[in-house]
Amino acid sequence: MTGQTDPLVAELARKLVETLGLDLKPEAVDPAAPLIGAGLGIDSIDTLELVVLIERDYGVKIDNRAAGVEAFASLNALAAFLRQRRPASPA
Amino acid sequence: MSSRPPVCVTGMGVVCAGANHVGELRDLLAHPVAHFQTPTVWPIKHPSGELPVAQATALEAGEVAGRPRTHRLALLAAREAVGTGPLPDAIVLGSSTGGIAATESALEAGITSPDAYRYHGLDTVALHLAETLGVCGPVITISTACSSAAVALSVAAALLRAGLARRVLSGGADSLSRLTFHGFRQLQLVAAHGCMPLDANRDGMTVGEGAGFLVLETAPDERPVLAVLSGTGLSCDAYHATSPHPEGQGAVLAMRRALADAGLEPRAISYVNLHGTGTPDNDQAEARAMKQVFADVQPALSSTKGLTGHALAAAGGIEAVISILALRDGLLPANTGLETLDTSLEISPVRAPTQAPISAVLSNSFGFGGNNACVIFEKAPSSPSPHPFPRYAGRGDLRATTGDVPPASGLPALRIAASACLTARGGLDETWNALLSRDSTAGLVPDAAFARAAPAAFVRRLKRLPRLMLALAQTVHTASGRAAPPEAIAVGTAWGPLAETQEFLRKLFESGDQFSSPMDFIGSVHNAPTGQIALLLGSQAPNLTSSAGERSFSQALLCGSLHIVSGAGSALVVAAEAFEPRLSPLFDPEGARGPLVSDGGAAFLLIPDDGDPGVRLRWLGEGGNDGAVALVDRFAGVTPDYDAVVVGIPAGHDLAKDPAYARLGQLLPSASIVAYRDRLGQHASIGATAAAIAGRAVAVGMLPFTGAPIALPHRRLLLLELGPRLAAIEVFA
Repeated sequence: MTGQTDPLVAELARKLVETLGLDLKPEAVDPAAPLIGAGLGIDSIDTLELVVLIERDYGVKIDNRAAGVEAFASLNALAAFLRQRRPASPA
Repeated sequence: MSSRPPVCVTGMGVVCAGANHVGELRDLLAHPVAHFQTPTVWPIKHPSGELPVAQATALEAGEVAGRPRTHRLALLAAREAVGTGPLPDAIVLGSSTGGIAATESALEAGITSPDAYRYHGLDTVALHLAETLGVCGPVITISTACSSAAVALSVAAALLRAGLARRVLSGGADSLSRLTFHGFRQLQLVAAHGCMPLDANRDGMTVGEGAGFLVLETAPDERPVLAVLSGTGLSCDAYHATSPHPEGQGAVLAMRRALADAGLEPRAISYVNLHGTGTPDNDQAEARAMKQVFADVQPALSSTKGLTGHALAAAGGIEAVISILALRDGLLPANTGLETLDTSLEISPVRAPTQAPISAVLSNSFGFGGNNACVIFEKAPSSPSPHPFPRYAGRGDLRATTGDVPPASGLPALRIAASACLTARGGLDETWNALLSRDSTAGLVPDAAFARAAPAAFVRRLKRLPRLMLALAQTVHTASGRAAPPEAIAVGTAWGPLAETQEFLRKLFESGDQFSSPMDFIGSVHNAPTGQIALLLGSQAPNLTSSAGERSFSQALLCGSLHIVSGAGSALVVAAEAFEPRLSPLFDPEGARGPLVSDGGAAFLLIPDDGDPGVRLRWLGEGGNDGAVALVDRFAGVTPDYDAVVVGIPAGHDLAKDPAYARLGQLLPSASIVAYRDRLGQHASIGATAAAIAGRAVAVGMLPFTGAPIALPHRRLLLLELGPRLAAIEVFA
C-alpha cells in the first residue's frame, strides 16, 4: 500500500509520524484512510498537535470543528485543504 | 455519622481577580461583575494581542525582585486566613505553577545563574509561608493540576483526623504564567471574550490566578467556627490525559465519596459550586455527573468561574471560601457569564445572587490526569445562625515566634507487598548487587531499564519521567501478584516532568509566543505521570501527587498511609525524578552537577499490616524550625532499637547549620549514622530508593551503604531526609 505519489502527502505523512511518535513508517500511512478514530490511534490531543503544526508550517488555521472534519478526513484531504487555503507563496 | 471530631474552619483568606480579601469577594458575589482583562504580567508578543485573563490586582504587574507571583499571592491570602489567631502547626497547599512565571522570564533572557531559579520549585511556595508564619510541622504541597487545592483540603482533613496536626493552613495558590495560558490556548480551551459556563455558546475558560486558604482545626478554642469541612472525596477518571470521561464517571465517584465521607444523602446538599470551567467538554461531563448523583432533585448550583476566572490549582481554595460565604450568609452565588443557557445540559443554574437558607455546600474541582476532588462544607453545629460574619480588616502581623510542634505520629506501619527501584545499575536486584560489590549506583537510569514498561502505543507521547514512573508502577503491581488495581495512588516528585516543560517553553519562545506543543503542555503538569499510572493500571482510586523537594517521597508515603487509615486496602507509592540537561542544573545547582548526578526512583505497593512476616514502612513525621529538633528528640528514647540511622543529606546542605543534625549527633554514636548519597547517587527522590534498599537490608539483616556492610540485629532502620525541613520514616522487619 502506498499511493503517496503527491509530494505534499508524503511530507505530511513524515511530519505526522514524527510529531505524534507513531510506531510505523511514514510510507505505511494510507493517504486515503481517515486520520482520526481509525487504525492510527490518533486522539483529540494528537489532533490539536497537528492543528498547531499546520498553522506553524503552512500558515493555515483550523479553529472550528467543520474545518477539522474536512482537514483530517485523510492525508489526501489534508493536502487538498492546505492547497486550497494556504497563503500564496512567493514561488 | 461517625464519632470522629469535626474538621472546623476557623479562618479564611482569599485573593483573586476583583477581590483582594474575603470582604471584597463577599461584595463581588453580591454584585457580580467579572474583571477580565488583557494580561499585563508578561510582554505581549502575540500578533493578534492576547485573549482576556482574570488577573489579580492585589499585586503590581510584572515580576519584582524577591518572590514570584504565586508566592506573593499565597502569602496575602495565608496572612488573612491566619489573621491574629493561633498559628497553624501544618500547611497543606495546592499549587501547579510555583515560580514558573519568574522562571519563564529568566529562561527567555538566557540567565544561567541558578539564583534566578531558586524559587522555581513548587515546595518553595509553602516553605515561604512556613518560614514567614513559623510553622513547625508538616509542610505539604499537592500538585494535581486544577484539583490541587481541593485535594490539599482532603489531605489537611485527613491529617487532622489522624491526629497528626492540631491546626492546618490549607488551600491553593497559582499565578498567571505563559506556560499555562499558552498551553490552554494551544488546546483551544481559552474563551475569546471571557468564559460563559453552561452557556450554549460557551467557548472555553478564562485563565485566572489567586489564592484561597482556610484554617482547619478539630479542637478550636480561640476563634469562632465558620463552617465544618464534613466530607471530601477523590477519584481518577483513568480515561484520558485531559478529556473528562464523557459521562462524568470520575466526577460521580468523587461526589459520592464526599457524600459518603460526610454521611449525607444527596438531597441534604443545598448548593453545589461547580467546577464549571466553561469549556464545552467539562460542562457537559459535569452536568451529566450532576444528574447521576442528584437525580431528579437537583440542588441550587452555579459556576463562579465567570466571576473569578479559573485560578487553576487555587480554584478549589477560592471556591471553598465562596462555599463558606454562601453557607454563612445564605447567599446563592450567580452563574456569572451565562447568557443563553445550554438546555441540552438539563441543569438549571442560579442566574442572579439569591438569598436562601443553605445548610450544606458541595464544591467540585477537576483537573488534568482525570483528577477529581469534591469537598463538602456544612454549617457549624453550635454556631447560632445570625452570627455576624467576621470582617478581617488587617492581615495578620508577622510574628517572630514559631507555633506549636504538632503531636507525634500515630500512623500505623504498612507492610510492603512489593517494591522496586530504578538506578543507573537497573532495577532493585542490580542496584542491591552493585552495592554489595561496593560499587556506586550513581548516574542516570539507562533507557533499556525502563523501556518495556508499557505498550509502545501507550507511551509514544511520553518523555522520561512518566516512562520511569510507569516502569516502577508496573513492576510493583506485577510483583505484588494482585489482579485488582491499587486502592490509592500517591506519587512524589520534586521537579516534575522537566523535559516537557523545557520543550514547551523552547518552542513557545522560538515562535514569539505563537506556537508550542499541546502534548508537552499536558505532559508538563506534575501529576501527568500519576494520571498515566492510573490509566495503565485502570485505577479510579484516589490519586495524589505531592511535590516537596527531598520530602516528596515522604509526603507520598504520608498520603498513601492516610488513605489506608481511612480504609483503602492498598496504596501504590511512587517517587522519582528525571534529569533534564538544561533545567536540572539551573533548578538544583548543587544536586544536578558533579559525579553523583542521578535520576530514577522507587515504588512500593503497601497494604495494611496483616501480621504476615515481611518488611514494614512507617511515616514518622516532618518538621521544621523547632519541629525538626523535636522530631529528633522523639527518637531519643527509642534509638537503641534502631540498628542505624540512614541519612539523606542533599548536596549543598550545610550540616553545621542544621540543629536537627546536631541533636542527632548528641543522641547517637557517629558509627550508627549512615549517609547514603555517596554510594546511591543524588536526586531529590533518592530517599525512595534508599527506602527500597533499606527494605531489603532489614529483610536480610545487613545494610550495604558503607564500605563494609553493617549488621542489623534489630532489623530496624530510621531513615531521615535532611534539608529545609526534616522528614522521618522507619523500615523494619
